[in-house]
Amino acid sequence: MVLSSSQEDDRAMGTPVPNRGAPAIEAVGVSKRFRASSGSGSAVDAVHDLTLSVANGERLAFIGPNGAGKSTSIKMLTGILHPTAGTARVLGLVPWQQRRKLSERTGTLFGQRSQLWFELSPRQSLRMLAAVYGLDRDRELRRVAELGELLDATELFDQPVRDLSLGQRMRCELAACLLHEPDILFLDEPTIGLDLLAKRRFRELLVSLNEAGGTTVFLTSHDVADIEHVAQRVVVISAGRLIYDDSVSAMRRTMLSTKLVDVGLERAGAPLDLDGVTLVAGSESSAQLSVDTSRTSIREVLGRVLDTWSVSDISVVDPPLEQVIAEIYAERQT
Amino acid sequence: MTAPLLRRLAVPADVSGRRLLASRDGLVVSVLFYLIVSAVLSALWRAAAGEHGDVAGYSAAALTWYVVTAEAATCAINVRLIEQVGDDITSGAVAVEMLRPLPVVSVRLAAELGRCTARLAVLLLPGATYAWLVVGAPPSTAGALLALPALVLAVAANLCLQYALAGSAFWLRDTRATWFLYQKLVFLLGGMLLPLQVLPGVLRDVAMGLPFLAMAYAPARLAAGHVEPWLLLVQAGWLVVLVVGAAAVFAAGQRRLQVVGG
Repeated sequence: MVLSSSQEDDRAMGTPVPNRGAPAIEAVGVSKRFRASSGSGSAVDAVHDLTLSVANGERLAFIGPNGAGKSTSIKMLTGILHPTAGTARVLGLVPWQQRRKLSERTGTLFGQRSQLWFELSPRQSLRMLAAVYGLDRDRELRRVAELGELLDATELFDQPVRDLSLGQRMRCELAACLLHEPDILFLDEPTIGLDLLAKRRFRELLVSLNEAGGTTVFLTSHDVADIEHVAQRVVVISAGRLIYDDSVSAMRRTMLSTKLVDVGLERAGAPLDLDGVTLVAGSESSAQLSVDTSRTSIREVLGRVLDTWSVSDISVVDPPLEQVIAEIYAERQT
Repeated sequence: MTAPLLRRLAVPADVSGRRLLASRDGLVVSVLFYLIVSAVLSALWRAAAGEHGDVAGYSAAALTWYVVTAEAATCAINVRLIEQVGDDITSGAVAVEMLRPLPVVSVRLAAELGRCTARLAVLLLPGATYAWLVVGAPPSTAGALLALPALVLAVAANLCLQYALAGSAFWLRDTRATWFLYQKLVFLLGGMLLPLQVLPGVLRDVAMGLPFLAMAYAPARLAAGHVEPWLLLVQAGWLVVLVVGAAAVFAAGQRRLQVVGG
């Protein structure tokens, strides 16, 4: 397995470290090879030799660029796909052999796939799912009431799904996958398409669910902020191979210390001379700065920019995931 | 997690049925379509039979009851169901449903059955009223009573066969041609357009040996006054075969999906 170097650091910093004695997910050498549908006989290794252990109660971000193998990995760990090679146990079960039994203890949310019936209200969908999961009526009513309160969605439960905004629908989707009180949540790009406020709320919900109930969270995302705000540990996969496995705090200190500052200008200004700040792109009306926050704080950069330049607009954004992954590659080369 | 399977499946059927009854606009369109088709077809058959004659042993009145029953059995089911289910398979929606403790096809069939029997009940009321006003009471009360369970069996068998055929999307990806062919087979060999006795010799014998007769002909023949309870047994037999068939196709399709991917 790719090393996880910073457990000791985290303990020292007070970051909760989950109980590693009982892994919720254990995958060893899992691979998946797809044959091309064109009939050319060629094959694609979607996932190659994935070895991974996730502790009970851990919040793990499983990230990578498009086509990296994230969804394929989730599909193998939930039992939708058989691996070509390797073994895995999730909650002690072999997913692709005991898929239905495992589904009683896992909740899965695919950001681009709804598990709600669009022509029904969420409450009706929840009733159908409760029956499918074998919940008796009392338990169903108790869970729907609890989830309505927890997700602030009680009023949404009675509106037709098709009338809900994406953010509202995702809260109801989360209710659907939490209904049977799963031990593990598999979330595949759950914040895709959400606005900033809805994303923030969704992340807070995931953390509070994990902290309150000890639910293991296995999250894939393209959004660096999802990783920073939800996960304790981050695993990066690229071209089907695991290339990084460490705590988020360690990643934050290294890979995520860079922020981008987009500045709209009323007129061009003199160059800034600040340690760790470089001009990535510039024109008469705009500039983009890359800031190494381990050397100069964002607060200091913003202060200097506002004092020095004639600013019409300013925003701070995370670097795109692709840039973070490129930095990981560069780090591995040195 | 141990609630009996049928009780667990009754909820999707109940919720879907209630939801259908609440969608008034869709129901009004279904009823209008059903009444127009039934009125036109039954008028054609009455003209063919003449006032006091018959067609293949069916009087003009019996043909009217035949038509409203056969049309109710088929109009109760979503048009293009095979295509919709096929799209759900190719889009990956079915893969998500695999992550539940009950087989995908059982939950889907239960929900469809709830929806279709609710629509069937709604169609039968104006259909029977129309037939009664035009030609009077059903030719046989016993036949009409037997037609009620036969209609439910017809809908169930039809759904199962459509799901079994839709499962071809696990391999073929496109089910439009399958839907088109299926619709024509039920139309001609299922007795939806005409009683099977009207078909020429060999074709009639073939049709009587195929599952399509369970989907329109059986309830329609009973409603037309032919008290033949064995038709219910034939329907039940086909239903068992088709349930097993649909389950087997989905199980094989899901296995393929697990190995090959979606």
